[in-house]
Amino acid sequence: MKGYVKYYGQKVAWYVLTLIIAVALNFFLPRMMPGDPVRAIVNEATTGMTNASAIQQIEQQYYERFGLDKSLPEQFLTYVGNLFKGDLGTSFTQYPRPVTDVIGESVIWTLALQIPAILVGWFIGNILGAVAAYLRKGFDKAVMPLFMFLSNMPAFGMAIIMVWVFAVTLKIAPLSGGYGYDLLPSFTPEFIVSLISHYALPFFSIILITIGGQAIGMRSMSIYELNADYVKYSRFLGIKDRKIIGYVFRNAMLPQVTGLALSLGTMIGGNIVAETIFSYPGIGTTLLAGITGGDYPLISGSTLIITLMVLVANLVIEILYGVIDPRVKAAQQDS
Amino acid sequence: MGKVMLEVKELTTKYVTRFNEDVYAVDHVSLKIEEGKSLGIAGESGCGKSTLALSLMGYYFSPLHYTSGDIIIDGVNISGMKPDEVRKSILGNEIAYIPQAAMNALNPTQKIIRFVEDVIHAHDPKKSKKEIYDMAVERFKVLGLPPEVLQRHAVELSGGMKQRTVIAISTILSPKVLIADEPSSALDVTSQKMVIKMMRELMEKGFIKSMIFITHELPLLYNVTDDIMVMYAGQIVEKGSAKEMVFDPVHPYSKGLMGSIIVPEAGTREVKLEAIPGTPPNLKNPPDGCRFAARCKYAKLECRTYDVPEKEFRDGRMYRCIHDVEYLKEVYGRDE
Repeated sequence: MKGYVKYYGQKVAWYVLTLIIAVALNFFLPRMMPGDPVRAIVNEATTGMTNASAIQQIEQQYYERFGLDKSLPEQFLTYVGNLFKGDLGTSFTQYPRPVTDVIGESVIWTLALQIPAILVGWFIGNILGAVAAYLRKGFDKAVMPLFMFLSNMPAFGMAIIMVWVFAVTLKIAPLSGGYGYDLLPSFTPEFIVSLISHYALPFFSIILITIGGQAIGMRSMSIYELNADYVKYSRFLGIKDRKIIGYVFRNAMLPQVTGLALSLGTMIGGNIVAETIFSYPGIGTTLLAGITGGDYPLISGSTLIITLMVLVANLVIEILYGVIDPRVKAAQQDS
Repeated sequence: MGKVMLEVKELTTKYVTRFNEDVYAVDHVSLKIEEGKSLGIAGESGCGKSTLALSLMGYYFSPLHYTSGDIIIDGVNISGMKPDEVRKSILGNEIAYIPQAAMNALNPTQKIIRFVEDVIHAHDPKKSKKEIYDMAVERFKVLGLPPEVLQRHAVELSGGMKQRTVIAISTILSPKVLIADEPSSALDVTSQKMVIKMMRELMEKGFIKSMIFITHELPLLYNVTDDIMVMYAGQIVEKGSAKEMVFDPVHPYSKGLMGSIIVPEAGTREVKLEAIPGTPPNLKNPPDGCRFAARCKYAKLECRTYDVPEKEFRDGRMYRCIHDVEYLKEVYGRDE
């Protein structure tokens, strides 16, 4: 028990350090981008105005409101101070909405799309990979090239193909968005149908890619485990194949759990492009909008959320791993 | 003469390579073990000893295939049985196996007791967990393992403990024949001795009825088994009691094997070590005639043309060479 506390204590300390560095990078990097976000906003707000001093005054007001009149270190301190209050600042482009609002709204779309898609893809992929490893021969030869193709397909490539085939050519799915542009979010049957039909394409494009990658990993792990000494030994003790396959797949699953953690952790960042192609109102689209508009607080906020998700996913998996693999557990206790 | 526990008649098994070539790694092997006796099988790496161990169990996994011959365990011929039947009623139950790599023989993510349960349930699905636990505790105790080991995972055990755990699990159903495939080759000399002592003890207590011990170290067998068989290129080249085989080998190959190692016995201290030149033949295309001829000092032209039959020259003493025993004794005497 003492080993555990020490082990996780050290782990958490590292995670906190990572988070601190990430917060700093998330803050400074966007602000090093060329361009002046305020100028763009002011230009738009003052279209038609000719009074130069008035425009200057408005500009000055915006600088003060956004806190851009202070020096970078000062801004950083304010930012960190606000972080502890759960305040990510105010969005420039969607002024005066707070960043937490903007992100909170879009993150739900991303989670609702990606978590089910990744989980379903992960399960199907692992089952197919295990079956391919066990059956070998025809099934293996038929599906492996397909898995290879799927797993090496970038998310945006898959998205473009899906859009082209199903939305443009066959016209059986909507082209973009999270729901019909003529609808308002509500609990009407019409809205729900629209929601589902918009959900299908991005959902299946993620599932297909996940299946490919997971199946390949599971297949090779299973083949490796099927040839392990304990399999041979168990057979020669008369244990039934069905039972032995249970051992094999449990052991082959272990690295796959890490794979799941990684895809859950990186799901937001990894699918920005796919979200953009489908114009899906998730955090990827929001982040992109933030970058194009030079919306510093929105960029910092979005990247902070992504960082947090990766760290949390990793920590959860680390704990889970200790529970399911006695070898890892032993290593954790020893430290 | 005791009851015959295992009798093997002319057993031949082959590996089928991915290019569909047949490799006969066990070629017409016959042997017999009586109750309470042990047999050692010695030979170089690649001579077919491990394959023989696998073949003796009567259950074959690709690429190993059964070709011909009989395996008779306590009067029951298992060669004609269905593979599933062999697996259910013979493997682990009548004939048990200790693998070469005992270190990796246990599933890393399973508690020892769960594995013991699986082994016993494979043969007796009705046994309760409590009964199995009691059985396991008792058998583990014989091997000097505390009951706590049952609640551990393989990774938490030391090498020697893993080894003993594997022996305990293999013998938990008191098999009639125990096949140990180099169970001690990964251990240091002290642990080797301990493993051997434990196996002897298991036999004395009647937990196993007979034993086959496979190793590449001939002198190790002298201390362990009653009889010794020397194998070369898939065939048995000489068979006899342990003492005779170590101190009075007849076949030039056994003679060479004995000459290439130090036997810690009186009178053998002054002997100069000698290696056998050359390497064993490729079993994909075994040579005509005697398979050892290419490496044999005493080979003649006939050796390479005619197949050499097994010759019995005394009760239980067999060798495979065209030369007479007297001739061989004479040339050995001359060489020394």
